[in-house]
Amino acid sequence: MSGTPSLAQSPVVRRVRAQTAGRQETIWVAALVVLLIGLLAYFCLVVPDFRELGVSGVLALSEQFLFTGLIALGEALVILAGEIDLSTGAMSSLSGIVMAGLWQHGLNIWLATALALLVAALGGALNGLLITRLNLNSLLVTLATQFIFGSVATAVGGNTPPYNFPSSFVSLAGTGTIGPIPDQLVIFVVVAVAVSLLVARTRYGRGLVLIGYNRAAARYTGINVQRTLFSAFVSCGLLAGAAGIFVSGFYNAARDDIGDSLLLPAITVVVLGGVDIFGGKGRLSGVVIATFLLGFLTQGLLIEGKSSLTASMVTGIVLVLGLILKIALDRRAGVHLKELLARRFASAQGPPAVSDA
Amino acid sequence: MTALSSPVRADEPMGTSRSFASTALNLLRQREVQLVLAILAVGALSAALHPDFLASSNISFILADSVSTMIVAVGQTVVVIGRGIDLSVSPILGIAAIGVGFPAQDHNLNIFLALLFVLLIGTALGIGNGVLVSIIGIPPIIATLAMLTIYGGLQFIFSGGEEVVNIPNGYGNIGNSNLLPGVPWVIIIGAAVVAIAYLFLTRTITGRSIHAVGNNADAAFRAGIPVRRILFTTYVISGCLAGLGGLIYLCHVGSADSTTGSDTNVNLMSIAATLIGGTTLLGGRGGPVGSALGAVFLSEALQAMIASRIPVIWEPAGVGVLILIAVVAEGKGSPVRQLFRQPFRQPSGVPR
Repeated sequence: MSGTPSLAQSPVVRRVRAQTAGRQETIWVAALVVLLIGLLAYFCLVVPDFRELGVSGVLALSEQFLFTGLIALGEALVILAGEIDLSTGAMSSLSGIVMAGLWQHGLNIWLATALALLVAALGGALNGLLITRLNLNSLLVTLATQFIFGSVATAVGGNTPPYNFPSSFVSLAGTGTIGPIPDQLVIFVVVAVAVSLLVARTRYGRGLVLIGYNRAAARYTGINVQRTLFSAFVSCGLLAGAAGIFVSGFYNAARDDIGDSLLLPAITVVVLGGVDIFGGKGRLSGVVIATFLLGFLTQGLLIEGKSSLTASMVTGIVLVLGLILKIALDRRAGVHLKELLARRFASAQGPPAVSDA
Repeated sequence: MTALSSPVRADEPMGTSRSFASTALNLLRQREVQLVLAILAVGALSAALHPDFLASSNISFILADSVSTMIVAVGQTVVVIGRGIDLSVSPILGIAAIGVGFPAQDHNLNIFLALLFVLLIGTALGIGNGVLVSIIGIPPIIATLAMLTIYGGLQFIFSGGEEVVNIPNGYGNIGNSNLLPGVPWVIIIGAAVVAIAYLFLTRTITGRSIHAVGNNADAAFRAGIPVRRILFTTYVISGCLAGLGGLIYLCHVGSADSTTGSDTNVNLMSIAATLIGGTTLLGGRGGPVGSALGAVFLSEALQAMIASRIPVIWEPAGVGVLILIAVVAEGKGSPVRQLFRQPFRQPSGVPR
């Protein structure tokens, strides 16, 4: 960059633009909060069954969707870095099945849980290795490993996957409460705060987001792109594994297909939470609020008496409407249409492959 | 670079380019040729283990079983060449199958009318994807993932929880009888679709434009190609062919319900056939012939797995491994590429 700086490079313009971008994200999160409050108010007013649950009942509803939120947190790390992981749902099934299988063979349930989480981390590491070392497209790799993990889970689970775990486990990982607050909710909030701080306040997190925003710039900054991406996939696998443990605890049974239905809601939550699907933009707080928004929406519809397929259809519709709104907001904020086009077409197949350093 | 003065490619050793060995190696670099060899190899291996594998009934079963995947994969290929992806083909196939399945079962719907109906259903649902991706501008993977749930819900609503179990004889004959021993009727339909798609992609302005858009949308735009309209077209074609795949599925399997399409992993199979066939997600490269061979290869490999008594639960894992192999083979510095790239020892002292 030599010669006279153009207007776009002047510090004032850049600062204004950065503020606009930050303000956009804040507006998005605020809009989600308003929507969430509006949604809860609507269900309380219109659906008597929902109103009668009371505060503790509504909080207990969150146990039905917090595992989606856990997967979404991991997925958000990967998507922020400009990649995607489609294997998280299958990974949840696998970790639940491994935990249950080890427990059935006489292992202590907590040791079994630790080993299942290790398996999940190793699965994430496999994804990460294939993607960073062999320069493969993450969409394809995880599409393939999704089915490999799923088959392994089915094979390990056998005909009658284990159920009826010890009550201490079911209580902590499943349906226990502290006062009116479910254990799961407490654990989720702790994990969510930790991951948010990791992304927003640490060197590592900033590096991760920069990789998603501009991989070349990240490399020139001295960030070890491959190692950071690898760790993002390991974290994603680990969180998906944890979600699998919670699902098994909540239903007090392990199922080899339970994760399949979690993938789309998790990705919906990440996108609805304001994370750019091409990486580099977004806040974890948005993802957390979107978890509750989508979760209460689904649960409210189910309580209203709609079928689960209708609820999942609504998930899809919400995703589309959210994106249309977001694109409209971006246009109003002056993100040039041409830039949007270039950005979209530049990586229409998802994130670009990791080029060699 | 001496290569500039002659049409010989720079990565080929000098002086051998016209020889027979070089021609053979050039052929071996073609994914289509590799796939034909792989199909023959798997066939030979399975036949060595289970002599029945090459019986004409088994061959026609493998071919007939691949056709519905093949047709959907051709549509997927068109989208992928345009640098998109369509994850909503499985419910489109399902909606088409039950959409004509019920009238066929209850009112003996004419099969040509059924053909028209599935094409209309597929086109309508494809337009949904096209609007989201090319007009509104939602990334293809997210747009079609969302449509996957919406169409999946529609399929459930349309089916009303009922099942198509009884189709007229005319449908079953198309789906399950042979033209010649080992050559089922449906494979003729599949071959016709592949041939038309091949001619469309290589010989028409729209087809060439799809390649251009997939290769570099910005350059295509500057060259005057209506990028949005072309992208829109690719999703309509994909929807249309997924609908046709639904009719073929109905004729071949004879039943359809609210999970048709999703239960046989049509999304995965169509993407797998496309990738194995040498079309890359980076866009602009590949073609329907490879995808068709990929579909046949998948069908054969799964049949070989069953013949060697590998439990059916490993089927998705098998497809997953095949996708990984195809992707690794396509990547930079892949072992397969290296194998075919430097066939001869390079003379020392010759700079490359």
